[in-house]
Order: sequence, then C-alpha cells, then structure tokens
Amino acid sequence: MAQLGFRTATRRYKYLFWPMMAVYVAIVLTTSFLIDKDTAAPWVNAACAVGVTLPLFIVLYAMRRQTEETDEYTRMKQLKAMRDGGLITAGIAFLVGFLQIFNVVDSVDIFWFGALFFFAYGLSNLTNCFGRVV
Amino acid sequence: MSALMKNILRILRTEKGWSQAELADRLDVSRQSVNAIETGKYDPSLPLAFAIARLFGRSIEEIFDDGVGAAEAAE
Repeated sequence: MAQLGFRTATRRYKYLFWPMMAVYVAIVLTTSFLIDKDTAAPWVNAACAVGVTLPLFIVLYAMRRQTEETDEYTRMKQLKAMRDGGLITAGIAFLVGFLQIFNVVDSVDIFWFGALFFFAYGLSNLTNCFGRVV
Repeated sequence: MSALMKNILRILRTEKGWSQAELADRLDVSRQSVNAIETGKYDPSLPLAFAIARLFGRSIEEIFDDGVGAAEAAE
C-alpha cells in the first residue's frame, strides 16, 4: 500500500472523479435522448447500459485508490463510511428480499441498492463531520 | 477500544501561530485529522507521531501522554 499523503491522494481522486462524472452525465443524457430502449436492438441497450456503468466503475476504483493513498485518519473515516454503507445496504437488501419472498412487496429494481449504498455512505460521513464517530 | 491519550498539540501549534489547516499542510494530513488528534478523538500512528515530534523538535513523550508514565512517576 502506497501512502502518498492527503493532498496528493485527494488531487488524484478529483482528477479521476470529476471527468468520470462528466462522462457519466453526458452518456446518461445522450442515451436518454437518442435511444428509445423499447424499440432499440438488444445489443444497443446492452452497450448503453455498459457505457453508463463504466465511468461508475472507474469512480469506484478511484474511491478504493484514495483510501489506500490518503492519510490514516481520512482512510479510517472513509472505511467506516463504506462499512456503514455496506452494512445498511446489506440489511435493507435482506429486508426487501424477504418482503418479496413473503409476497408483501413486488419486485424492486436492483439499481436502487447502489444508490442506497452511496446514501448511507454519505450519511455516515456527515455524521462523522458533526463529531460523532460512527 | 483502548483509552485515548492526552496531548499538547494544540498548545504547540498555537505557540507557532499556525492554524489547524497550516499544521495539516505541513504534515500532509487533512485538517480534520489535526482537529481529531488535538481534541483527543484520535490517536495518531507511530509514523505520524514521529512526524509531529520532528516538526516541533520534541520527543513523542513530551507531546503525547498515555497516563501510564505520569502514574508510574507518582508511585
């Protein structure tokens, strides 16, 4: 593990994060306006789905790299937030899964669990900011 | 979880006239790291403790106190 320090790690993270977010938004907008997913060929829909996901994979890689390279306290905070995000997402996935098995709710799009992870991750980081170590 | 140590980092920093952000810059850590160490919410690792000691020209024991040394001295 190469610890580069807070400044370098943050700079390297931002250099990857912001361009990838711009690419993500551009692909989402382009595919929303130009592709009719109900009539498009399956390979076009598949290509769009993979195209939208690729920048997100790169952002996830950037998050992983930042936790390796940043200073120890920031790393601890990030890992705690990821832990909380992961556990809350897993818990809610189980809950929704059993609600489905017992026919209480209809199917739920898996997509929302990714969003839930980042919501819980952000919430944990926010709690840390207010001085309470989660 | 072990008990956190006391330290005189805030005193040393203000003696130098540095803000938390300036000290964080010199140590290449986040400002939140400096705040967490100063307020006793976080104990630094040995490499960071050495870096702090080196920056202020003191020994680690002069800056950080785990309470054991003082208790032993009192006995």
